[in-house]
Amino acid sequence: MINRLLRASAIALSLVVAAPLAASAQQRPLVWGDTLPATLDPHAIFDVPSQFILLNVYDGLYRYQSNPPQLEPWLATSHTVSADGLTWDFTLRSGARFHDGSEITAEDVAYSFRRLLTLRRAPAAAFTPVLTAENVTAPAAHTVRFVLSTPYAPFLSAMPLVAIVNPRVLSQHVENDDWGNAWLAAHDAGSGAYRLNPETYQARVAMDLERFPEHFMGWAGNAHPIASVRSRPVMETSTRVLALLRGDIDATDSYLPPDQVERVERNPRTRVARDESMRVFVIRMNNSRAPFDNKDARLCLAHAFNYEGFNNVILRGFVLRNAGPNPNNLWGNPPDLAPYSFDLAKAKEHCDLARAAGVDLSRPLEIHVQNELEQTVQAAQMYQADLRRVGITLRIVPNTWPGITGATGSAATTPDMWIHWVSTYFVDPENWIGQMYDSQFQGTWKASSWYTNPEVDRLLRAARTSLDQAERARLYSEATRIVVADSPDIWVYNTVNLRGLSRRVQGYSFSPVGSGGEMRLMSLEN
Amino acid sequence: MLLYILRRIALALPALFGLVVLTFILSRVVPGDPAATLAGDAATPAQIADIRARYGLDRPLLEQALVHVRQVVSGDLGNSLFSGRPVSLEIMQRLPATLELTFVALVFATILGVALGLVAALDHNGPIDHLVRIVSVGGLAIASFWLAIMLQLQFSMEWNILPLRGRIDVIYGMPHRVTGFLLIDTLLAGRPDMFLDALRHMVLPAITLALPGLATIARFTRSGVLEALQKDYVLYARAAGYGRFRLAAIYVLRNAITVTVTQIGLLFGALISGAVAIEAVFDWPGLGTYAVQAILSADYKALLAVTLVVGVVYAVVNVLVDVAQALIDPRVAQRAR
Repeated sequence: MINRLLRASAIALSLVVAAPLAASAQQRPLVWGDTLPATLDPHAIFDVPSQFILLNVYDGLYRYQSNPPQLEPWLATSHTVSADGLTWDFTLRSGARFHDGSEITAEDVAYSFRRLLTLRRAPAAAFTPVLTAENVTAPAAHTVRFVLSTPYAPFLSAMPLVAIVNPRVLSQHVENDDWGNAWLAAHDAGSGAYRLNPETYQARVAMDLERFPEHFMGWAGNAHPIASVRSRPVMETSTRVLALLRGDIDATDSYLPPDQVERVERNPRTRVARDESMRVFVIRMNNSRAPFDNKDARLCLAHAFNYEGFNNVILRGFVLRNAGPNPNNLWGNPPDLAPYSFDLAKAKEHCDLARAAGVDLSRPLEIHVQNELEQTVQAAQMYQADLRRVGITLRIVPNTWPGITGATGSAATTPDMWIHWVSTYFVDPENWIGQMYDSQFQGTWKASSWYTNPEVDRLLRAARTSLDQAERARLYSEATRIVVADSPDIWVYNTVNLRGLSRRVQGYSFSPVGSGGEMRLMSLEN
Repeated sequence: MLLYILRRIALALPALFGLVVLTFILSRVVPGDPAATLAGDAATPAQIADIRARYGLDRPLLEQALVHVRQVVSGDLGNSLFSGRPVSLEIMQRLPATLELTFVALVFATILGVALGLVAALDHNGPIDHLVRIVSVGGLAIASFWLAIMLQLQFSMEWNILPLRGRIDVIYGMPHRVTGFLLIDTLLAGRPDMFLDALRHMVLPAITLALPGLATIARFTRSGVLEALQKDYVLYARAAGYGRFRLAAIYVLRNAITVTVTQIGLLFGALISGAVAIEAVFDWPGLGTYAVQAILSADYKALLAVTLVVGVVYAVVNVLVDVAQALIDPRVAQRAR
């Protein structure tokens, strides 16, 4: 009896262990291990994961390519802008088609913008201050016209944020005037180089994409395009790295922990793509409240952060020191901008000056970290130890992104300090210094340092409305110089994106917008 | 018996109602503004206020709570703030994965736990008893996420004999969904190869999830059997010449197992909540990972629904346990009258 049981168990076990042989005989499709967005509706959400959908399933009028990012005509072939900077006309390419085979018309583009501006969700934020739905029209078959309420120079840079959707498909799935929002969360109404298989889609778990051979850009530049992409997000960092090393996935997210880089590169099957991005790590200070309302106190705090130690020891040099709010590799920075140094003697001097001016530095300061993002915790812990040496107590408060951003709506609820990154949503200083330090944006998380300087406001507003690129660069440069001297925040580094890749992935091309997730350019080596 | 079951169900309803109200209040008083997250980067306070009004988030908390309770009672769990899709639909996609894993882990823990407990009790203070004691203490003491990673490193990376993550190999895709339980759907699809692959994917997460439960079941079975062994009827049965195995397995175990059955019911709830960490490590697309994603994006509608579903599952299992106890020991139902 026992022998029979043992024999049956051994057979079952050997079946379970031997089963992978059958599966491994077939060629594996490309498995992308990066995070998926909560919804596939490109007008409902805008975060780093949603850019993967935007780049692969949809097209926009313009698109950022390569690094440093270049703005290239995409569904549009060109554009003109009136002398007063208010009327923008875009000429549409002919012959581009949606996944259902219908041609993309100027009216479809106008519909897409009207949908975006009516839903008024995240990606609309870049346009709503200057554009209303009725001011987007299609005066000719291949012309789309936008009439802005005030001149807005970053308008073109924000153009790639908007996916053009197919109104003929969406109109069949509208429920309660939702513009097809619920349906599009799990379906595809695009024209991009890949189309979604809605049958196998599981929100945030699995997304299968198949190549769209009729994509308007053609496939001439890629002799062996990838036919099928399996997007399978891996939640845990340790599992993600193991899955790459084992060959379960072909790409991690682009934030591989620096301590894993060597391990991934040692493996003959894998490599790490390192690309300078535009994503600034910043420690915010609530300038509306003591002691941060005093410049010497802020300078004391700026000199007490060990930039070298954090960037080069904890992060092993896989980041680049960044002196101000704009990433180093963006235009509009003063060429000689010097970063703050870690200098505790200087920090003490400024602290003493602040105390002499009556500032109370004895109360414990709170720094909110995003608990699930280890770097924010590490930076706070290191900072806490160094601040103790200048007589300042720092209390670390674990929090989450929604928890913190929800609190930044008013100065009273904004934390003393908090840590986050400002990623590339559109490539223009407006994305960083413009929205972080113009006081008109106070109440948004980007302007959560509650910094007010009328001169900076004037410069940033002039830069936002000027259509003269050289003049804009000068204005941003001047504003940056003033902001950095005032030290409203502590700017630490610009990110080098680290993406673990299987060596069979060829043609990976990084751009700060989308973090290199454009499948159209890639091929798979057997 | 029917009356007994109805009474147990009636007792579960107020508890569920309390759960709905309490979780709503908790979810709305903790920091985090879903409207700000929905509005996205660079959204102005006016845009955030607009979204808040559109989703009713600006209404008084009591009013929001009443709307929520009314929705839940009418069977509507609402729509996810982010995807805009019905939360019930998203949960139904995820729930079978968690239930399947929990069920397999529980069966594994029960069979092995009861066997170990029985053997340990029969070898009271002997070497097997000591060994089982070590296993049970270890099973309760080891952190699940640590064990999960260790198992991955050994079985998937070092020996390469079991999958690292997920429910099924990407090369297969998913079978046609009938029940959502892969072990069933693969067989219904006539794909034994996929069934085996799904089974292989289940081994490591199920073992990790089962271990603390196994330890608990072994300890309760052991003490129950030891107590039963002291009873007069055992002495009588021994005197009557019953074999040791027959006596233990048929007479002693049935009397000793009622306490263990209660524990199994409680464990089911513990396993579902314990699945959160294990699902994350093994990339198991269940309710646990869904809850984590909901927390991180402040999707409180999704979070409330998850809590309610887990509460309902827990309540149902508790009723089933009561019924099982009454079936094993009819005196339980009689006492309840």
